[in-house]
Amino acid sequence: MEHAYPTLQSVLEDEAFPRADTALRRGRHIDRDEAELYGFLCEAQALLEPFYRRFGMELVRLEDGYFYLLPVDPHVSRRRLTPGAMLAGQALALLYLDPSLVEQAGVIPRSRVLELLGNLVGEDRLLQALNPRRRHRTDTAQQETIRRELDKGLRALEEMGFLDRLEDEALRLRLPLLRFADPVRTLADPAGALREMLSRGEIEVGDEEEEEDE
Amino acid sequence: MTDLHRLVGSLQQRGAGLTLDTTDLCFLIVLRDRADRAALASLEEEILYDVYEQVCDLTDPGAGQVRKRATHALQRLRQQRLLGRVDGAGLVRAGEYALTRLATAIVDFFLADEALTRDSLTILTRTLASQLTEIKSEASRACSPEDWKVRVSAPLRITVADLISGIERRQRGMDAQQREVREEIGRLLSKDWFSAVDACEDLLASTSTTLRELNEVLLQDTSHLQALLQEIQDLAEAAEDLEARDACLRVQEQVDRVAAWGGARLGAWSDYFQYVQHYLRSVVRLDPDRALSQRLRDQLARWVESPFYLIAGQAPSAWVLREPDTRPIRPAVTRPSRNRESELLPTPPDQASADLEDRIRSALEGAHTLSEVLREVLPQTPAESRYLTTGRVAGLVAREARPHSDLERPWVEVEDLAIEDWSLD
Repeated sequence: MEHAYPTLQSVLEDEAFPRADTALRRGRHIDRDEAELYGFLCEAQALLEPFYRRFGMELVRLEDGYFYLLPVDPHVSRRRLTPGAMLAGQALALLYLDPSLVEQAGVIPRSRVLELLGNLVGEDRLLQALNPRRRHRTDTAQQETIRRELDKGLRALEEMGFLDRLEDEALRLRLPLLRFADPVRTLADPAGALREMLSRGEIEVGDEEEEEDE
Repeated sequence: MTDLHRLVGSLQQRGAGLTLDTTDLCFLIVLRDRADRAALASLEEEILYDVYEQVCDLTDPGAGQVRKRATHALQRLRQQRLLGRVDGAGLVRAGEYALTRLATAIVDFFLADEALTRDSLTILTRTLASQLTEIKSEASRACSPEDWKVRVSAPLRITVADLISGIERRQRGMDAQQREVREEIGRLLSKDWFSAVDACEDLLASTSTTLRELNEVLLQDTSHLQALLQEIQDLAEAAEDLEARDACLRVQEQVDRVAAWGGARLGAWSDYFQYVQHYLRSVVRLDPDRALSQRLRDQLARWVESPFYLIAGQAPSAWVLREPDTRPIRPAVTRPSRNRESELLPTPPDQASADLEDRIRSALEGAHTLSEVLREVLPQTPAESRYLTTGRVAGLVAREARPHSDLERPWVEVEDLAIEDWSLD
């Protein structure tokens, strides 16, 4: 079988390489919606995997149909999602799975995220997760903090290729959101799945500042 | 035109008008359907009441006094000539009613809009192309303004415009069909999940057939229609028939609108098709029991107590070194330097001044007043410089001798000048 890219040099010389490389290194998830980059990565995967390994990063391809770079070397700079991004990401993943949204082709109003989190997590626990140190005197201030933190989270998720922000406060959900469901993909043992992801460096647990202190 | 004026006048005089609410309209449509199914030329009054009650249940559930409303509705429809009593028995017994031509036309309009959605867009455009080909050949044969009007302008304005309106109605039908398919896919997935995959794929496939039809119209038929219209327009311009040319332009605009609609729907459907295919493949097939949603819901509910955070790369942006800034250094604004000292010129020593001083000093010896010194000096001085010389003499006398004067100094005439005189020690 003839390969599209016989050598690493031919991969690096491809016009798509600089764009794909820059996006992946910045933490972006590339799915089929970005057809050109996704096609390039599929064809060059075999040569790019060892290439990125030398930089201390793993090129991960999920069978769902998307790529991302996972830093495995502790010296490689990494991004850890904020609590706001994690909560918004999981809520969006849940909405992505909802068949009633198929009619709108995965486009939802932004308010749905807050509504779902309010129902599932509750306002007090949301506030505790998003800004545990600050005391709020009024409900309005609490809600403002929640909205602000979630908005920051949504911006980060957009940068990372989990969603597109459309006009009129609408969000288009993208396939990589399923990464938030990875710990519960298998029925067997969610805690075990989390431990496994932790050992592979796909997730971190605990307070970020505590880890820095250590 | 006179008939039209008379008709308008007559309608105005009679206060003719139509007032139909949704219930009335639905009532007429159901009556028509009931009559068609039972092959009845007229319907008994009791059937009319039954039908009205059924319609009312749907359009205005919970409404009271339905029978009374039905009586008023029948009366209203009869007054508006939408329903006619056909038994001729008057008040003797319950009547029999039939829809009038006007009511049938109204019902046909609403039914026709639906029916057209099932027509093939391809057939309509081909018919349109065949009409245009015929009009083109008529245009090439037309040799008088009457020919242009009857054989070209009129068919363009009426036949062709009607056909395009038919296509536009068909487009609305396709819009509705696509909406239905979307709703149906959502319903099927919500209800049957994994078992619905095949049905969803069938629905997508059947709508894709519609999409192909649309694609044909876009890529082949509309360009063919535009080419035919352009040829007719060229012939009209050559024959200087403005009416035919304008009719052509109007039809071209309509065809453009058809094509633009098609392009927009094609893009939207294509995105939706891709999304559903991904969804079926990556969500439904990977989670046939639909348990993932529940587990994810539980994970989210517990997350605050046992949080975890996804990790991704975060390489800083590459540094792109800029070219060194080579802006020219602008010198301060200055004026070219020049020697402001005027050049010294060799001049002979002023011997006259030295001589004058010698003469004054010699005159001072033995002189007792300033006037005596002046009388000694001035005669040897040219007349024009005597005034100046007097000043110099006074200056030197004041430095060299010890002059003194009375309170009132006497005026003394020396040569042609008058001076205030000093005494000298």
